[in-house]
Amino acid sequence: MNADQILTEIREANLSYLMLAQSLIRSDREQALYRLGISEESAAMITLLTPAQMMKIAAGNTLLCRFRMDDDLVWGLLTNHGKGAANDTTTRLHASILMAGRHQEAA
Amino acid sequence: MRIKSILTEAKQIDRAVTLINLGARLQVLESETDLSYERLLRLYKEVAGRSPSKGQLPFSTDWFMTWQPNIHASLFLNIHEYLNKVAVMDEIDTVIKAYQLYTEQTTAQGLEALLSVTRAWRLVKFVDNGMLTMTKCSKCGGHFVSHPHEIAKHYVCGLCNPPARAGKGKAAGGIQMH
Repeated sequence: MNADQILTEIREANLSYLMLAQSLIRSDREQALYRLGISEESAAMITLLTPAQMMKIAAGNTLLCRFRMDDDLVWGLLTNHGKGAANDTTTRLHASILMAGRHQEAA
Repeated sequence: MRIKSILTEAKQIDRAVTLINLGARLQVLESETDLSYERLLRLYKEVAGRSPSKGQLPFSTDWFMTWQPNIHASLFLNIHEYLNKVAVMDEIDTVIKAYQLYTEQTTAQGLEALLSVTRAWRLVKFVDNGMLTMTKCSKCGGHFVSHPHEIAKHYVCGLCNPPARAGKGKAAGGIQMH
């Protein structure tokens, strides 16, 4: 990937993210806060974005959304590493419980 | 004032319909709306196409302590707490929205939604009046439904330390440990 390609890909990803976020917030605001892991304030800002503003924000060399899990534990559960006993669904369920418990990051 | 009350009623009917579609028992509707029993009964038949189940609601906190239900209940309650923290809405709406997210998640993972909406509603009530609470697992740090006054220092959740026979059942849609 050359520099131009990278910028294009990032813009595309940002744009899809913003559009998805906006439609999620519009269809069910509270559930969207959980799905997106963002604060009420961010949600309010995203809903108000016009297409032109979205294009502007999306263009750049960094992604707008980032990882929700940055610890080994959840990461290990999601990828099923380091735990032989439980099966896939169970470890994912475990990860879901741990991630759903993290509202500090959103609020 | 009249118009306002009709609007409130419309909102309540809407809420009741959502709850019926989620499979709620009539007692939940009675407790969460101001609609009369007769109207709720009619609404129930209209929406569900059958009469509501009769009999008492499950009232025991024990169910939430058994292995598989505890995991389901914990997932639901974590989502519920999340919504509670980030959004301001009526208590029953939090239950409805959290329950929808919970069923969505279990379906996506090919599990049967073991927790009914009636039980989910009861669970929130149990937590509100201190009969149940959430305790942090000392191993994974996740929050799980537990009896109050659990010794947090020694508490280990059912997923970090499953009981010997847990997850060995062959039933489809159950949580498996092998």
